[in-house]
Amino acid sequence: MNLFFFLMSILYGILKFLHIDFVPFASHGYPIGLWIAYLIVAVVEVILVFALAMLVVVILVYVFRKYMADVQNRIGPNRLGPWGSLQLIADVFKLIQKQDIIPTAADKTAYRVAPYLVFTPVVIGFMIIPFGNVSLLNLMVINFNYTILFLVATMIISPIGEIIGGLASHNKYGMLGALRAAAQDMSYEVPMLISLISVIILAGSFNAQDIVIAQRHIPFVVPEFLGFIIFFLAVLGKQVFPPFDLPESASELVSGYTTEYSGMRYGIFYMGGFAGTALASLVIATIYFGGWEGPIFPGTIWLIIKAGVFMLIFLLIQVSVFRVRVDQFLNMGWKYLLPLSIVNLFISVGFALFAGGVF
Amino acid sequence: MQDKIVEVNFGPQHPSTHGVLRVKVKLDGEVIVDAQPIIGYLHRNAEKLSEMGYYPKAQIYVDRLDYAAALNMELGFVLSAEKLMDVQVPDRALWIRMMMVELNRIASHFIWLGTHGLDMGMLSPFFYCFREREKVFRILDEITGSRLLYNYFAIGGVYSDVTPKSLEMIKTWLSDFDKNLTEIENIFKKSYVYVARTKGTGKLGLDDTISYGVTGPMLRAAGKKWDLRKNKPYLHYDQINFDVPSQQAGDVYARMLVRIEEMHQSARIVAQVLDKLPAGDFYNKKYSKPMLVRIKATGESYIPTESPKGEFGIYLVGDGSAIPYRFRIRSPSFANLSAAPAMLIGYKIADMTATLSSMDPVFGEVDR
Repeated sequence: MNLFFFLMSILYGILKFLHIDFVPFASHGYPIGLWIAYLIVAVVEVILVFALAMLVVVILVYVFRKYMADVQNRIGPNRLGPWGSLQLIADVFKLIQKQDIIPTAADKTAYRVAPYLVFTPVVIGFMIIPFGNVSLLNLMVINFNYTILFLVATMIISPIGEIIGGLASHNKYGMLGALRAAAQDMSYEVPMLISLISVIILAGSFNAQDIVIAQRHIPFVVPEFLGFIIFFLAVLGKQVFPPFDLPESASELVSGYTTEYSGMRYGIFYMGGFAGTALASLVIATIYFGGWEGPIFPGTIWLIIKAGVFMLIFLLIQVSVFRVRVDQFLNMGWKYLLPLSIVNLFISVGFALFAGGVF
Repeated sequence: MQDKIVEVNFGPQHPSTHGVLRVKVKLDGEVIVDAQPIIGYLHRNAEKLSEMGYYPKAQIYVDRLDYAAALNMELGFVLSAEKLMDVQVPDRALWIRMMMVELNRIASHFIWLGTHGLDMGMLSPFFYCFREREKVFRILDEITGSRLLYNYFAIGGVYSDVTPKSLEMIKTWLSDFDKNLTEIENIFKKSYVYVARTKGTGKLGLDDTISYGVTGPMLRAAGKKWDLRKNKPYLHYDQINFDVPSQQAGDVYARMLVRIEEMHQSARIVAQVLDKLPAGDFYNKKYSKPMLVRIKATGESYIPTESPKGEFGIYLVGDGSAIPYRFRIRSPSFANLSAAPAMLIGYKIADMTATLSSMDPVFGEVDR
């Protein structure tokens, strides 16, 4: 393949991406240049999403540190860069330089894989978030009919990474953390999915973009307030956030499943946590608060505002609650969240049947 | 790990053991079926070292027993030594001692409250408590010249007088102490999660408490209104109005309530001492330091005092030389820790950190 074909196909890809019909060599099916054009576009999009996730993590970690310091009468990072804003970069460099310690008795493959199992699905999850609807293109990386199901599928992978990491590190605290992660995972996941299904019933679609568009009159938090509360609590449990940070509770199980992890492997767990927080805020903003819908400003700004509010709420919760006990969390999940989410399911079915036109 | 029971070594390096406690725990899932505290990682031979020097020299070792409340430790030693050596103390020194001991009790309880919050999974109260403790330390620093280990009380008085400036500092600190403490205690009392986790956790009945020799806030939280400051007054505690807080439940929550009320009462005592502080000498001029090392004491003495952790006293035996023949430390944390298995077995591992921190052990004192 020569350069000409290559450039042509990029041009073709770009034109196709902008929905301009230009088919110079459509004589026999798809030419190879077309595939490369799609591939390049896909790679660029993945890089963009990764960069976006990283950017959000950097901002969130900085805000979190400063905010936490403010709440706790401290100053927080203030040495590196203006107002300590480069502290995280320095931390990442420090973590990368560190010796990579893998316990002798650990299951080495599983030990290595676990952090990525936590981190990667979160980045993938960013792909289905609709960041807006500019006239030419949907601002979302992948768009097909079942994006919410896809999101659910990715969200379920991260706790498995936690369980594998804890069990693979051959440490009793790690094992206890992994067991807690498994127990916690089961008790929040079912209510979370049922409340998601309620939203899907109301919107009549599995597509995230359709769900946003369905909220153009009333955001779903109004008919689905119960579901929103359930989803919010479940997300707190999923993100291993206080008050539900049981699997890695620092004062009981040294660090839970991350006990043996150090260096950048721990850093990936850490970043995965923050990226997950950002993703959870985006998802809540999308399915309950109308996503990019909003007056005056462009949609992307509305989404950032809505998700940003939720990120701040998550951070506020993190610095201001005690940790619950395991049995209390399981009680909450099975005795309250699950029945309430089923009640909520019926409520939304009722809304969809008798007031379907409103939404 | 094939067995159903997993044995976990909780410590000696663990974020929530507050020092070097090691607890051998057997777990059935999350439930503790056996717990065995193992101590001795901070053993520094304080008793024997104290028996090797003159009486006043022991004071620096005593300082380092309960490093969170060093002045309370010094008081136990100084009172006992004065009784043995028959040294009179001027009135002003007694009042100063009372004030200092109560200030240090507040500082010690602040450490406890902050780390207790940390153990319960919340970082913020730790910083609030250390901020408030810092204010107490500024005052202690102004009076004694150091922040943690003071070496301030002396046999026959105190080393330096309180200055008008330090009294002024105490007054300004007292003016908003109750308000600040109430703010912090509300974080605990009004938290639904905290109450749900601590009520009924780490229960120790009154009978068990007494038979294990548990004293201090843990005893008062179990229903016994026993405070040595009230029941066997030393210094001038009989001339001062204060209440002895007590609770009936004997769980972690009750201990928290008792300790916080104690802090309020300590502030009350400090305020009263400020009013009643008499003029006069702050040490007995008859006994300068070179004089003290020449006193040859005979007999034995023990004066129990109420330290922040419980009954603290030093049993001294003199054999007619200037060096103590026996220097026995009755340390409250050691006795309190012996009740740990009774409070841990049957509860969850998450309750363990709550219970251990509610005991407020300081390992300088446990291991000695």
